[in-house]
Amino acid sequence: MSIKSSFAEFAGRSSYWFLHNVFHGGSSLPGKITLKLDPNILSEFSKKYDLVIITGTNGKTLTTALSTRVLREKYPQVVTNPSGSNMEQGIVTAFITAPRAKQKGLAVLEVDEANVRMVTKHIQPIAIVMTNLFRDQMDRYGEIYTTYDKILAGVKLAPKATIIANGDEQIFNTKDLPNPVIYYGFANDHQEDLRAPANTDGLLCTKCQHILHFHNITYASLGEYFCPNCGFHRPELTYKVTAIGSMTPTSSKFQIDGHPFEIGVGGLYNIYNALAAYSLGRFLGVSPAQIQNAFQADEHVFGRQEIINVDGKEVTLVLVKNPVGLNQVIDMVLTDPEPFSFGFLLNAHYADGIDTSWIWDGNFEKLNNHSIKKFFTGGERYKDISTRLTMAGINDIEEEPDLAKVIDKIKQMPTKHVYVLSSYTAMLQLRKELAERKYIQGGMD
Amino acid sequence: MAKYNLKVAHFYGDLMNTYGDIGNIIALKYYGKQMDTDITSDIVSIGDDFDDQQYDLAVFGGGQDYEQMVISKDIPHKKEAIARFINGGKPFLAICGGFQLLGQYYVDANGEKIPGIGVLSHYTVTQSSHRSAMQNQTRFIGDIVIKNPQNGDLYHGFENHNGRTFLGDDEQPLGIVQEGHGNNGEDKTEGAIYKHTYCSYFHGPILTRNGNLAKQMLLEALHNKYPNEDFSKQESLIIKPTF
Repeated sequence: MSIKSSFAEFAGRSSYWFLHNVFHGGSSLPGKITLKLDPNILSEFSKKYDLVIITGTNGKTLTTALSTRVLREKYPQVVTNPSGSNMEQGIVTAFITAPRAKQKGLAVLEVDEANVRMVTKHIQPIAIVMTNLFRDQMDRYGEIYTTYDKILAGVKLAPKATIIANGDEQIFNTKDLPNPVIYYGFANDHQEDLRAPANTDGLLCTKCQHILHFHNITYASLGEYFCPNCGFHRPELTYKVTAIGSMTPTSSKFQIDGHPFEIGVGGLYNIYNALAAYSLGRFLGVSPAQIQNAFQADEHVFGRQEIINVDGKEVTLVLVKNPVGLNQVIDMVLTDPEPFSFGFLLNAHYADGIDTSWIWDGNFEKLNNHSIKKFFTGGERYKDISTRLTMAGINDIEEEPDLAKVIDKIKQMPTKHVYVLSSYTAMLQLRKELAERKYIQGGMD
Repeated sequence: MAKYNLKVAHFYGDLMNTYGDIGNIIALKYYGKQMDTDITSDIVSIGDDFDDQQYDLAVFGGGQDYEQMVISKDIPHKKEAIARFINGGKPFLAICGGFQLLGQYYVDANGEKIPGIGVLSHYTVTQSSHRSAMQNQTRFIGDIVIKNPQNGDLYHGFENHNGRTFLGDDEQPLGIVQEGHGNNGEDKTEGAIYKHTYCSYFHGPILTRNGNLAKQMLLEALHNKYPNEDFSKQESLIIKPTF
């Protein structure tokens, strides 16, 4: 390591120690300091670590967390970045704060779609995992095709990395790459001719511009697609979900390649995350038995879906930020066999998306078919979400614009189970209130 | 079972749906119910024929550049039927990309001039085609309020567009900009009205925030379809504010 890099790493490590111990924070600043002193610091880490990148719109965080656990079954030193710190600075911080490795370690990094290039410029990854691409907060991000081009700009710098991609996502099958490619997805033996619901994106066959059809849809535009016009179809899958068992908001049972698995979190989308982690694990030589073991460990990895006890109420707080994620959460909530109450908190700051139109792509109509005891809305844009629920046919909605009073509202709910879906800044505010009243430890992670 | 029924053609609803445009259909159904009217809708997409006689209303949303470019090649096949529908005074709501495609032409993000079907007289250029690095600076993004010059109604929404649209002589703006940018940031117009066709850059979606416009379109469609009926009860429906 050059003197410059050593000094840069030392400066970053010291600032992290200082921030962490004095201010109890600091995930991007140490990386920022290190990068300022040595912009090529990531190249130095390539000598000490093999690298895996995980990217895509939804599911990056959980896939990274599950993959880290899976790979720790085999590799003694696995480094990862904490939830959300997926830009260059956060990634550098992950490296400089890791315990110094005795032998070559493995880094499993969640990387923002546009930042893949910043990493592959310095380190050749052995694998790049792609989860999915959906439209996401359009006032901040571009269209899905532009986003994919950004990922490919990074892939281009890493032609030897094996791509481990969601085969049920058409866009990952559109460009011929020099890289080895492995696909994972949901096995299907149905031969129906289905069309995706109207408010789904990515439905044009990228080969001939006709509307894609499906033999099977898992959710949104994911599934066994085919083009009736030109014959373009889903690629051969290497790793497959072969059966779905019982699903509740806090557990999912399923089989991959015939091996039974269970994870302590609900939602079909999380089975995709588990499948991605399984595929990466198998690719790197982890056995199905070791993966079963990794999935079962009870460590807290499902931060975005934790259950908070509020004076006896079991409150599930879920972050929602785009239509596909929202619809998956609605489906997950509806697997609760117990009666429950349903709240939605909506703000429209930059981090939430300043345009609230996306709530109209949520399938709130589905909530009508269920015995939900009580609905409530809150946040600065509570009227928008109340209107959405009203037009979905839901009457009798309680409104609480003041997020400081939402906890009292939750306590008044007639059920033990309470689900609160929330946009990002509304979530931060509610968590702050919950922390002040000692219901949680505080902070976002 | 409602007394009346109206059928909506949802143009390219599976491709042009980027900003919750489905909400306009949901709002038509919601207000239709309050007006004793069942609303059903069909997606009329790529390769589908459009039989204008079958439909009483039409909705055409906004989409991504790629989808809009593909649609620009399909929609000429539907041009005659769409022209009959619009010129026959049937209510048509066109948002963003839909608004642009009904006009003479638009210039896409790559600076390419793409013909519309020319049923309406406006055209759309782009400010950022020569300086794509500045795209985010030149995009009109934010809350917008306009005032309908015909009836004084205020419409609230959210705009997010790169195109700059200029209206033809036979079009009226949907509203005069009170806050925000509007069609082009220069002449204070937002959207367009031609007969019973209403165009806009509004997301929100427009009919969920502006129930008066939904009511107006539904009444026009009812009068077209049931010319001898008395709709005074429907006309007296009070729209409650939703934001």
